[in-house]
Amino acid sequence: MVALVVVLTFVVLLLGVLVAGLLRSHADILRSLHELGVGVGDPAGTSERSAARNSAPPVPAWSQTSTALSPAPTVVGVTPSGDARAVAVDNSDEFTLLAFLSSGCATCAAFWEALQAPESLDLPQGTRVAIVTKGPDREIPSEVAGLATGRVPVVMSTEAWLEYEVPGSPFFVLVDGASGAEVGQGVAPRVEQLLDLIRRAEHDRGKQHRTRRRPSARRNGPEREADADEVLQNAGIRPGDPSLYPQSLEDVFPSGSGAGTTPGSTGRQSAQTQ
Amino acid sequence: MATIRAHGIAAQLPTRFEGRIFVRPALVGTSYPVGQFATFPIPDDIGDFGSGAVNLMGPDDVFATLFEYGPESLGTALFSSQGRPSSFAPDDFSPMRLRRGIPGQSGTQRFFTEAGRPFSFYAVLGSHVRRQSLVPRVNELISSLLISPASNPTQGTQGTAPRWN
Repeated sequence: MVALVVVLTFVVLLLGVLVAGLLRSHADILRSLHELGVGVGDPAGTSERSAARNSAPPVPAWSQTSTALSPAPTVVGVTPSGDARAVAVDNSDEFTLLAFLSSGCATCAAFWEALQAPESLDLPQGTRVAIVTKGPDREIPSEVAGLATGRVPVVMSTEAWLEYEVPGSPFFVLVDGASGAEVGQGVAPRVEQLLDLIRRAEHDRGKQHRTRRRPSARRNGPEREADADEVLQNAGIRPGDPSLYPQSLEDVFPSGSGAGTTPGSTGRQSAQTQ
Repeated sequence: MATIRAHGIAAQLPTRFEGRIFVRPALVGTSYPVGQFATFPIPDDIGDFGSGAVNLMGPDDVFATLFEYGPESLGTALFSSQGRPSSFAPDDFSPMRLRRGIPGQSGTQRFFTEAGRPFSFYAVLGSHVRRQSLVPRVNELISSLLISPASNPTQGTQGTAPRWN
């Protein structure tokens, strides 16, 4: 009899521990869902936010800050044809949009099509688009190749998914090339919403943005002329300045200046010692 | 530092560099690996030696191509230098050595054999005037390259035509 009571007590305790563990696990799941904005089991389910979420179209989950999130690493991987490719995100003054897509994801289909024709998207000028799928260990290269048009870089890199902590596809990361840092990341169910988020990020970047004056193939003659005038004026070179009318090659590349060297001068020695 | 490798070529990319190592599908004959490296976004559809890219360079940019030739070039005088140049001097660059003469830019090209493979290394500076600061970037890049013996060239009868510039 005593043995039976002991056994029953033990079983009850065991079940108690089991139930407590299940409740804790359930709470963890609810907390995670809440953090993701899903709101399942949200005690404030009748709040304004939830009501709005239920009535309005889905709002893209996009984290964006006026200050940079974190430095963005170079995307390194292979192309669908097996070549090596590295896309740096810190070597441009403009935005780089990294689109983490999959070949089999239904939601991704529209993004595959739209993002490979970036000129039709009215993106901020100079915005570069790169599509990143998981590596050949997780994706079938021929399927990715079938979706790639060759108009934007398509890099297969599981490593990049891990480095950018991509939770699933489609997922987008916007990097400001001037700072080399992420300025936004998240999901957008539709192309239009993604574009809206990018434009908002551009607006937030505002006029503080300074470029390194890289020529653009899209600018026309008068625009390039205006750029040249601005650069010259900033350098203190006004119309009629003698430097605009060189008489010889020496005037353009002065051998004695710090910028240039003559053959056999110390410039060669200093470079060779590096 | 990001490292890319393919077709027997590896590159540990210096800061702000990006690159690609690829073999174009051969329309006729055989095509060999090409490595392209730049401090600015490299468009996908450019020529082997940077046409379509060098016109996008800013004054602080560098572009470089490592281009492999066929085995018929082995042993020729042009490729008699063994091993790539260890470094370049500012005087090695000249506006006259550009494949496409874009005002303000300068370039250099060297032919050599390494790991039993004939190559040329062609580099362009966005600004000849700034070569003192840009040439070290080229040297950083060329010293980061690793070339292994032999890779299987691509032979084929279809695909895009080889691009020469």
